[in-house]
Amino acid sequence: MRIKEPLVKRAQLGDRDAFAALLEQNYDRIYRFAYRWCGHAQDAEEITQEVCIKLGRVMGSFRGESAFSSWLYRITLNVAKDYMRRSRHTRERTDHEEVLEYQPDQRAGPERALISRLILLCIEQLPEGIRETVLLVHAEGLNHRQAGETLACAEGTISWRLSEARKALTICLDKGAS
Amino acid sequence: MSKQPLDDKQLSTLFQEQAIPAPSKRKRRQAMDKALHAFDEETEKKFQGSLHTNRPTSKPAHIFQRIGDWIMNHVMNWKWQTLIAGAVTASLALTLVYKTPDAPQRIQHEEMVPQAQAPTMDDAVDYDISPEGGGSTPLPSPSPELEAPMSSGQPSPVHAMAGGETRQDVPARREHAIREKRHFAEKKARRMMMAGAAAPQGYHASMPTLAMAPSSIGGPHMGHLMAPPAPPPSSAKVMPHPMPSVDAVVISEAQEERDQFQSVKSSPVHRVAEQPVSTFSVDVDSASYSFVRRMINQGRLPQPDAVRVEEMINYFDYDYALPQDANTPFQPTVAIYPTPWNPDTKLMHIGIKGYRAESVTKPRSNLVFLLDVSGSMHAEDKLPLLKKSLGMLVNTLEPEDTVAIVVYAGAAGTVLEPTSIRQKHKIMAALNTLRAGGSTAGGQGIELAYSLAQSNFDQAAVNRVILATDGDFNVGVSNISALKGLIARKRESGVFLSVLGFGRGNYNDHLMQQLAQNGNGIAAYIDSLNEARKVLVQEASANLFPIAKDVKIQVEFNPKRVSEYRLIGYETRHLAREDFNNDKVDAGDIGAGHTVTALYEIVPVGSPAQHSDPLRYGKKPSVERGEINKGGEFAYLKLRYKLPGGTSSRLISQPITDDHQLATIDNSSTDQRFAAAVAAFGQSLKGGKYLNKFGYNEMIKLALEAKGQDRFGYRAELINLMRLAQTLAP
Repeated sequence: MRIKEPLVKRAQLGDRDAFAALLEQNYDRIYRFAYRWCGHAQDAEEITQEVCIKLGRVMGSFRGESAFSSWLYRITLNVAKDYMRRSRHTRERTDHEEVLEYQPDQRAGPERALISRLILLCIEQLPEGIRETVLLVHAEGLNHRQAGETLACAEGTISWRLSEARKALTICLDKGAS
Repeated sequence: MSKQPLDDKQLSTLFQEQAIPAPSKRKRRQAMDKALHAFDEETEKKFQGSLHTNRPTSKPAHIFQRIGDWIMNHVMNWKWQTLIAGAVTASLALTLVYKTPDAPQRIQHEEMVPQAQAPTMDDAVDYDISPEGGGSTPLPSPSPELEAPMSSGQPSPVHAMAGGETRQDVPARREHAIREKRHFAEKKARRMMMAGAAAPQGYHASMPTLAMAPSSIGGPHMGHLMAPPAPPPSSAKVMPHPMPSVDAVVISEAQEERDQFQSVKSSPVHRVAEQPVSTFSVDVDSASYSFVRRMINQGRLPQPDAVRVEEMINYFDYDYALPQDANTPFQPTVAIYPTPWNPDTKLMHIGIKGYRAESVTKPRSNLVFLLDVSGSMHAEDKLPLLKKSLGMLVNTLEPEDTVAIVVYAGAAGTVLEPTSIRQKHKIMAALNTLRAGGSTAGGQGIELAYSLAQSNFDQAAVNRVILATDGDFNVGVSNISALKGLIARKRESGVFLSVLGFGRGNYNDHLMQQLAQNGNGIAAYIDSLNEARKVLVQEASANLFPIAKDVKIQVEFNPKRVSEYRLIGYETRHLAREDFNNDKVDAGDIGAGHTVTALYEIVPVGSPAQHSDPLRYGKKPSVERGEINKGGEFAYLKLRYKLPGGTSSRLISQPITDDHQLATIDNSSTDQRFAAAVAAFGQSLKGGKYLNKFGYNEMIKLALEAKGQDRFGYRAELINLMRLAQTLAP
């Protein structure tokens, strides 16, 4: 076993307090990722809750084969995808409007605020695979190796996907701005 | 905003600047509590697990479930399905009785809440297929109705009466309903098998409650069923009884599946460095789609060989750009967009739409119907459907057109000499007199049909034999290559052949395809009046009046942009590279208004999706050699065709460049996305080797959002098929 983080190690062995602390530490990170994935605060809360419960179930089976954060992102991504698939039947794509509702940070100037708002709409149109790569690297700040570990693909794949995404996002933002 | 591509840093900054609404404190607390609860449960389980190592594991259940699945999948006969399901359930329950150390604890629970076991009215609805309740679907829980005859061998009188009465008033509805419900019933059966297994002794305890279920469905007289208490089932008695009959049932099933399809391997992935040129003939048939639809509607997935992806794609009409003038019969519409099922590859979409006949003067038609009236055509979806279909076709014809009818069965004969549409009543009367009977002698028939077409031959008209049959063509021209030779010679002399397939069970798809391909005609599979309308009325001009023949497509890929490619479908239409320029080589035809779509999945240079490693000793793609200004091209597209009367071919060509590339799939037209969804569906029915995790949910979504106007509901129908196939998929 190669678990580095002491908190993760204790939680893995069944320490309840350690697990609670781990949740406390990671709740916002999961929520942020979920929010960027679905663009809707309530959905993001639901997804985060499901991730937390799942974590409670599978914590004991974490073997340290990858970094804990990679493992957590992978779980989050799977739950988020499942959730969106299920909710699609009941609520057909209201998420778009919800994205437009939220107020972006105005400090960087109105034009930048518009673009950072648009970008959530644009990444939603990216194919799956590319979409999560963009979020992990650009929004979550993972490096290519970590993203590759999370998505179980080569670093070269990550670079390729990011370059594809840049092209697509440039076009999408151009179109959205005009 | 600049036109320059964003760099990584800019992108990251954009994300960092996003404001994200804070999650509510209440939700946060709730999530944490639930997570801790789950964590506690797991810890507890671990602790218990070490005490009871002999918990009921999933293993025995798994094996029985697989046996159950096998039986469900292979045994269509409802009676046996019921009996076997009962038997398996019983023996499964027994197996687990002896394997479950913590059973008593659970039984107490069952006794406290017996309703939990009994099927509720909601459950009953699922099984309300025949009045017997569990009679037609596998009744998931052991009921006395099932156990009594099997384990005692002596059905009670009440029983026999109830059974006999109901079996008579279960018409075809039952069969349909079985198909509809089979999937749900199976799922449910599995669930309840597991539930039953969890309370093996409670099984006796809850018997009376279970027995009430049929009575609540079946009406008052069924209440008697409660009376005979079931003797405790013994696996020794139950198992051997139904098992031998499984073989018999499987055989009859196999006989039903005599439809013949040519087995063709899916087009492989080619490396551009080794094989830069791809050549194929167009295909506008739709037979495969109709067959697939029929199978799925009957509750079965079609055999992979029955699925020709290009025919499924080409079944649908796409709104490609029409040529500017009538001199060129069509022009290609090209786009490159991200592959829905693989983020690291692209789809290269080539669409062609033929010039519409409305703007050209319709030529006169000289048609000969060659109809199979052998005994096997005696079914509602064969001869009667054929008569109605041809009646519809006759109604679309012009007064100057002529129709003749030849039938073949034991012997071939002319039913109607070439008759002008002015005497429509005579044609209709002749159609109506047709009766099915006798064996098939197609060879004689085809010669007779050709001689009638020849006798009425008109150079300016469309001269065509339309063969309608349900299966094997017992040719007098005894072997198939001789028959194909005959059809090809007649094609040269100007008489074309189209094939309409009917019915299922004996359909020889491969032969029909070959005949139509040699006869410059379409092969269509008619499974409903609606399909007859589509093929014979709506697309009549396309299917009857070719605007171009021997249409071939050749694509040369640029190794600097594309490292690998794969043509989706068209396996049976592959041509050798040199055949492209050889006008002697026959290829497919395009009718007025026909659309043809070809999709290549291409792997751009540098993409990680490459299937094979580059050769260590291979040549590097040569950069020089006068390739100036061609570096930006993905590929070069060439189309060759002949005008209907012509003998030498014409060429259309164009480079495929970045101008054709679309950044996201949402930039593509609904037609392009819909074609991609159909391609995914077709490939998935063939095994989906390249689809990665792209499943039914994804393709349904893609198709739904690309449905467009869908005036005749064909696209909606496909989406329904996807949904049905999803429930049938293993």
